[in-house]
Amino acid sequence: MRIFDPHVHMTSRTTDDYEAMHAAGVRALVEPAFWLGQPRTSVGSFTDYFDALIGWERFRAAQFGIRHHCTIALNPKEANDPRCTPVLDVLPRYLEKDGVVAVGEIGFDSMTPEEDEAFARQLQLAIEHDLPALVHTPHRDKAAGTRRTLDLVKESGLPFERVAVDHLNETTVRAVADSGAWMGFSIYPDTKMDEERMVAILKEYGTTRVLVNSAADWGRSDPLKTHKTGLAMLAAGFTESDVDDVLWRNPVEFYGQSGRLVLDDLPGFSAAPETFSGNSVLRGGGDR
Amino acid sequence: MTFHLGYGTNGFSNHRLDDALDVIAGLGYTSVALTLDHHHLDPFADDLPARVAHVAARLDRLGLRCVVETGARFLLDPRRKHHPTLVDEAHDVRVDFLLRAVRVAAELNADCVSFWSGIKPAEVPREEAWRRMRSGVAAVLEGATPLGVTLGLEPEPGMFVQHLTQALRLREELGSPELLGITLDVGHCVAVEPDDAATCVRRAGGLLVNVQLDDMRPGVHEHLEFGEGELDLRGTLAALAAVGYAGVAAVELPRHSHAAPDVAGRAFDALRAAMPDEPARPRHPWLADAQRAVRRDPVQIGRLFPAAGRRVGRTAARPDDDPRGLVHGTLDDSARAELLGALATVLDDDALSAELLALYRHGDDAEKRGVLRGLALVGNRAVDAGLEIVRDALRTNDVRLVAAALGPFAAEHLDQHGWRHGVLKCLFTGVPLAAVAGLERRTDDELRRMVADYTAERTAAGRDVPADAARLLGRGM
Repeated sequence: MRIFDPHVHMTSRTTDDYEAMHAAGVRALVEPAFWLGQPRTSVGSFTDYFDALIGWERFRAAQFGIRHHCTIALNPKEANDPRCTPVLDVLPRYLEKDGVVAVGEIGFDSMTPEEDEAFARQLQLAIEHDLPALVHTPHRDKAAGTRRTLDLVKESGLPFERVAVDHLNETTVRAVADSGAWMGFSIYPDTKMDEERMVAILKEYGTTRVLVNSAADWGRSDPLKTHKTGLAMLAAGFTESDVDDVLWRNPVEFYGQSGRLVLDDLPGFSAAPETFSGNSVLRGGGDR
Repeated sequence: MTFHLGYGTNGFSNHRLDDALDVIAGLGYTSVALTLDHHHLDPFADDLPARVAHVAARLDRLGLRCVVETGARFLLDPRRKHHPTLVDEAHDVRVDFLLRAVRVAAELNADCVSFWSGIKPAEVPREEAWRRMRSGVAAVLEGATPLGVTLGLEPEPGMFVQHLTQALRLREELGSPELLGITLDVGHCVAVEPDDAATCVRRAGGLLVNVQLDDMRPGVHEHLEFGEGELDLRGTLAALAAVGYAGVAAVELPRHSHAAPDVAGRAFDALRAAMPDEPARPRHPWLADAQRAVRRDPVQIGRLFPAAGRRVGRTAARPDDDPRGLVHGTLDDSARAELLGALATVLDDDALSAELLALYRHGDDAEKRGVLRGLALVGNRAVDAGLEIVRDALRTNDVRLVAAALGPFAAEHLDQHGWRHGVLKCLFTGVPLAAVAGLERRTDDELRRMVADYTAERTAAGRDVPADAARLLGRGM
């Protein structure tokens, strides 16, 4: 099973996670810029964070045979803090970087006018920098937030096929499926989605335009949820090709619209993992 | 090949011009520096147009690109060498001659007309000489403009304008005319310039319109064959390639006419052997365009620098023996370094320093690496900024940054303490010491002590000692 995790916050994870992810078949991932748990109070802490996403974290991932990409944005929660919003002015510089494959995470947290403005402005940045957009949907009032998200995307002129609307569930998937945007699902230990519910959605909606991610971060989460979803799909009768669509080809197609994905093997690491009875077995290993 | 190796006809003064051109082309040169002289396309001949047409046809047939040189010794005055010059009383005679040369150059489709100031007569005050230079060059420019002919001012040892700085200042005072460039004799740099030839090449950069190649010794204005003086030929040619110079680079040995064919053959062999290693310095078409764009508008570097990897590739330059690019860098590393080379031709030292710091500060890992590798090329013009960048990189734990930080710039400028800790960090993080420039030269007892302690610590912990550490210690014992 080869896996591209389209949404995982590796900055918050350990090298054990990287090792386990590589062993499970993860060869590429996207780390969206987001909130750090502790609120930021200045633009400087954003730029240090962005610099880590386009430098240090990329290097760290490479040590474990994983290609690291990122998305860059002002997240919706901090769009409400006037100490943070000036970061919008430095985004254009980052959006030209190699390995920056989308504008994100943008979207809504509490649906304030400030969030409206930052969201709309960053959709325009996606158009200007010829990038797709990764949109976070709110934890609270999710259905309304998702509808409003789709309205804003439509207004912006950014084509729906260049937008992934993330953290969907049974109540929000229909509207996004009908819009033509990509459908993102975060598989969590006890919130958001789980593997079995994900399989049920895949049965109902098919695998087209579906992205499955672990969204693992500093909270209770599991960076192997992509792999576990793949196993659940196989157990439910999906083919290996279906699993490859969801866990590799789909994210490659979505983020590939940036023209900035790098997916060739890292020197010293084996190519795609060998699979045996549905389990990936790493052969050879790195030169660490 | 990025520029055209050639030979100066003033080194063939015992040959008929046609024969000289045949010999030069036959040796493999693709360009010629044609000195107008009484026996070589006399610009005062009655049938000049026919002669020029004849030479133009011959150059075409031989595939020789050309520049027109105006340093003939007794063309204007049979008694006094080089007289009259631009700074003499009779400077208008020189201006008239240069205007003739401009018309000849236009007919020959030459790259430029090259000229020098002349020796200032003792009785002429400096201000007056400078005024004459300004008005003389302005007058020639006025004649060259409608014909679109470029002029190349050559600083010449012992003459009024003898340093690159003076030539650049004159150009600036004239309002930086587009058609006024620089002719640089790399041997002169050895003889009289404060900087070495490669540095002069980078300083002149985009203003270079003609280059003369020869060896020389410091303080002695005597044109020597390659290897007889102190010119770093390889480094100089690499600098020419790095700044994107694409014109004529012709051997200048005017006192070797008596043995011209042999001397020219030897020079060609020496040049071929010293030419930049083409496969190691691939010049992607995107890079050539990007360098031009940066020279036209330096601000463009902000857009082009991040894009280099996408355009030229990111693989290791020598994947077989250096798969991670730690020693020889990557394709995008060298492209970025060459973009900085182009940038250095159009920015002054302060602006260059500021831009290097900004590119590094705002760069991703690959861009930071590109800046670090580029310091080998342009760092001498921005030493403080370069050191700030190198020290930052050595504080990181990204082995590719650490490796790139310890290149020739650090070997030259980094303090010994910082350099030693950089080397030790390489051993700690698995960077091959082959990545450290100047290792042999800078290794000292203190570094050997540090490495010995490090190996003792490894041994005490039951760990392997890196082969590089053992080698380094072996060298000192």
